[in-house]
Amino acid sequence: MTENTASFDRRMLEALVCPLTQAVLEYDAERQELISKPANLAFPIRNGIPIMLEDEARPLE
Amino acid sequence: MNQTSDKTTHFGFETVREEDKAGRVQGVFNSVASKYDIMNDVMSVGIHRVWKDAMMDWLAPRPGQRLLDVAGGTGDISFRFLGRAGHGHSTVLDLTEPMLVEGRKRAEAEQMADSLDWVTGDAMALPFKDNTFDVYTISFGIRNVTRPQEALNEAFRVLKPGGRLMVLEFSQLPNDGLQKLYDLYSFNVIPRMGKLIANDYDSYQYLVESIRKFPDQETFLGMVRKAGFENAKYRNLSMGIAALHSGWKI
Repeated sequence: MTENTASFDRRMLEALVCPLTQAVLEYDAERQELISKPANLAFPIRNGIPIMLEDEARPLE
Repeated sequence: MNQTSDKTTHFGFETVREEDKAGRVQGVFNSVASKYDIMNDVMSVGIHRVWKDAMMDWLAPRPGQRLLDVAGGTGDISFRFLGRAGHGHSTVLDLTEPMLVEGRKRAEAEQMADSLDWVTGDAMALPFKDNTFDVYTISFGIRNVTRPQEALNEAFRVLKPGGRLMVLEFSQLPNDGLQKLYDLYSFNVIPRMGKLIANDYDSYQYLVESIRKFPDQETFLGMVRKAGFENAKYRNLSMGIAALHSGWKI
């Protein structure tokens, strides 16, 4: 993969919601994650591509 | 939400538990991603391009429309859509990350970068608000979804009122003789070509089995209607080797 430098486009946040609860997401730029508080999950962003799959999400403490 | 169940579905001709299907499908497409475009050309003798153009002819993209291209993988549908619309926006969603990475590498993706978003997601649980898109397409993707009806229901949810659904998928031939000939070709030739070109017999064996298991034109039309779509219709392509289904969210 040569696209590791690709960055997440913040404008995309306007369109994306949590796939489980359809709640608005928070963007954590440092960890490259999209946080769904109601689902208690952090969805990873890899190579600028958000991974909106429950199986790939990190449970929040 | 990850409750296990005893429900089963098909993975090609195999019976698998519902919760296992998505992982198996991801396995296939992770495996074929880098050779996906060339394999499509070889398997269909280039005809998949004609079918995708037929899809665009019926869809007639208009400037400024917003497309959700589900199972959009390497971008084939989005590039065509944006090319025809002149200007517009497309969100390419795929279950498989490597397919999107392949798509983003393509030259068209760079030229159209400002009009494209790439998202890994599940057709049965779309990460979008209700009433977001003007057009929803899924091309050679819905037969890989564990519960196609749920994907159609989600399509209906995220489309705006007045929005359009268009599904391109392999389908069934209208008579038994032709179907037998086609089965001979697909079961004998395609997995071997998969082995030759992508060094992957099993993934292509899955592809042909999954085509055979998918509901026929009329059955699938009923599913489109059940999701809430109006004025639902279909057109056969190449005598029914593939079919286009269209519906409107009124």
